[in-house]
Amino acid sequence: MAKSILEVKGIKLAFGGVQAIDDCSFHIEEGTITALIGPNGAGKSTMVNVISGTYRPDEGHVILDGKDVTRMPNYVRAQHGLLRTFQISREFANLTVLENLLVVRQGQVGESLFGALFRAKRWQEQTKELVAEANDILNTFGLYRLRNEYAGNLSGGQKRLVELARAVMAKPRLLLLDEPMAGVTPALIERLGHHIVELNRELGVTFVLVEHNLDVVEKICSRVVVMALGKQLADGTLAELRSNQAVIDAYLGGGARERVGS
Amino acid sequence: MTLILGYVATLLVTFFTYNIFVIGLNIQFGYAGILNFTVITFMAFGAYFYAVFVMPHADNSSQVFYILGLHWPWPLAMLAGIVASGALGYLVGLIALKRLRSDYLAIVTLATGTLVYGLFGNNNKLFDGWSGLFNVNQPFQSVATNHPNEFSWIFVVFSGVIMLVVWLFANRLYASPLGRSMRAIREDQDVVDSFGKNSFKVRMLAMVIGSVIVGIGGVLTIQYIGALSPAGWTTGETFVVWAALLVGGRANNLGAIVGSLLVAVIFNEATRYIPQVPSHPNLIPNLRNVIIGGLVILSIWFRPQGVVPEKKASFLEVPLVDKYAQGFPGEEPGGTLSPAASEA
Ligand SMILES: Nc1ncnc2c1ncn2[C@@H]1O[C@H](COP(=O)(O)OP(=O)(O)OP(=O)(O)O)[C@@H](O)[C@H]1O
Ligand SMILES: [Mg+2]
Repeated sequence: MAKSILEVKGIKLAFGGVQAIDDCSFHIEEGTITALIGPNGAGKSTMVNVISGTYRPDEGHVILDGKDVTRMPNYVRAQHGLLRTFQISREFANLTVLENLLVVRQGQVGESLFGALFRAKRWQEQTKELVAEANDILNTFGLYRLRNEYAGNLSGGQKRLVELARAVMAKPRLLLLDEPMAGVTPALIERLGHHIVELNRELGVTFVLVEHNLDVVEKICSRVVVMALGKQLADGTLAELRSNQAVIDAYLGGGARERVGS
Repeated sequence: MTLILGYVATLLVTFFTYNIFVIGLNIQFGYAGILNFTVITFMAFGAYFYAVFVMPHADNSSQVFYILGLHWPWPLAMLAGIVASGALGYLVGLIALKRLRSDYLAIVTLATGTLVYGLFGNNNKLFDGWSGLFNVNQPFQSVATNHPNEFSWIFVVFSGVIMLVVWLFANRLYASPLGRSMRAIREDQDVVDSFGKNSFKVRMLAMVIGSVIVGIGGVLTIQYIGALSPAGWTTGETFVVWAALLVGGRANNLGAIVGSLLVAVIFNEATRYIPQVPSHPNLIPNLRNVIIGGLVILSIWFRPQGVVPEKKASFLEVPLVDKYAQGFPGEEPGGTLSPAASEA
């Protein structure tokens, strides 16, 4: 069995009376693309927030590379290569697309006050290198000619691309994508899926993908974790899950079943 | 002639010190999105602490009371004033930046301002209460003895040089990766955190740097005038600094300068020459606030980015061949990158 890069164990989190996550456990293997699916309100986004450290769970543990990070602040987790995108695009609206990418690279010389003031030569050089690197990424994502636009002026689909391009610029090892394909055209879905697979193959990025579109899941994800009512219901390949009665009842039933065509 | 020269010098010093205030606020609000609604309290902190470090021990027989009275040389006292103002910024930051969102922070700054104002005014043992401090030692007095305006003009150069240093500092900060992080935090703090930066630390840095700069302006103010009382740093003064920044253009230090020229110098000074109405002594100052308020509303309405908007970043780059200049194969004409196509 491959090494698991991430493990969540017995997570519980309530918002007032709503038990958003109720004793949920699963693990993610390094180098894979795993889908996290489940009906609306199942607790998927909440789980992404718990894993990334935005929320602290009431109970349970988040284990990254075999190390318990449950009490570690989100920015420190990100420094360990655990990054996430948001269900609703959250670009830096009044920064240009290029700057959106530049800002997320960690460990720049000019990020400390001392460096910013007294090592200007060094960070100017570094910025030049980062601009070239960012432009390459933007070109891959088809955003090159929009690089000097304010990110806030982009269309919804373009913002989804910026969100992914920005995450790539930050050099993740494990990337949590919360519905990256929500509200975008079929052609763009195709491309986003293509990018994800490429990043996985070429850079070895591990992905956890929250996704409602089961065609996409079928195409790019090797394993699927199903959540319902805050619990982990099942996991396996999509083919295996199609014959799982509990999953069919909770999620694949109704309209979804026809779409998957089982 | 002497009178006019003296007046011009005072205008220039006013202009330079307001530039400094507005640049300080710009780093807090324009760069990092921190709503500091008590800018002027930091000015007062710088000024008062300069004063009590530079003045000799209070002579109690004269009924003037203040703390310390260390009689330090003025450059050291200046440093003390600046440190005091930065320390206040740190304290407010500790209370407000750790947990609170920006609107609550605004309330904390307002509360701090009211608290400090009441404390410094009502307690006449700290900084001589409502009557304030006067006869504060001014720099250059010993060398400027030949001509009535000599001190004023030496001070124009002195404050001008300091303003220039602040300006260069602020612009370097803006262009640096640290400045970019601040602006990203202004846009969305949580996202910056989730990319591995400690946004609390960066915001704190902006808060303290801004406070230090406003404190520098405060020291210059009391050095030039030689006196300061609570009447000189009312909430209305904070409003003038904000108005200058909003009218001039936030997140652009050139805007800060245009704004302080328009609002702090031209408007503030021009209204001084409207004759007083004897039966309503407060009419003119109040009218002044109304006019500045109107100016802010007009500028937000017609030019929300200010007279000089934030500059779009541009970089030296080696141009690439756009792989997808023709759109993407298999996509509808215009591709996904035509703004309308992907809104679905
Ligand atoms: N910040 C919050 N405050 C209160 N309740 C919340 C909060 N966030 C989520 N919830 C609730 O927790 C439950 C799980 O929500 P969550 O957003 O995690 O679901 P999801 O699986 O991501 O759903 P969707 O597919 O619609 O995105 C829902 O009942 C939701 O209303
Ligand atoms: Mg969700």
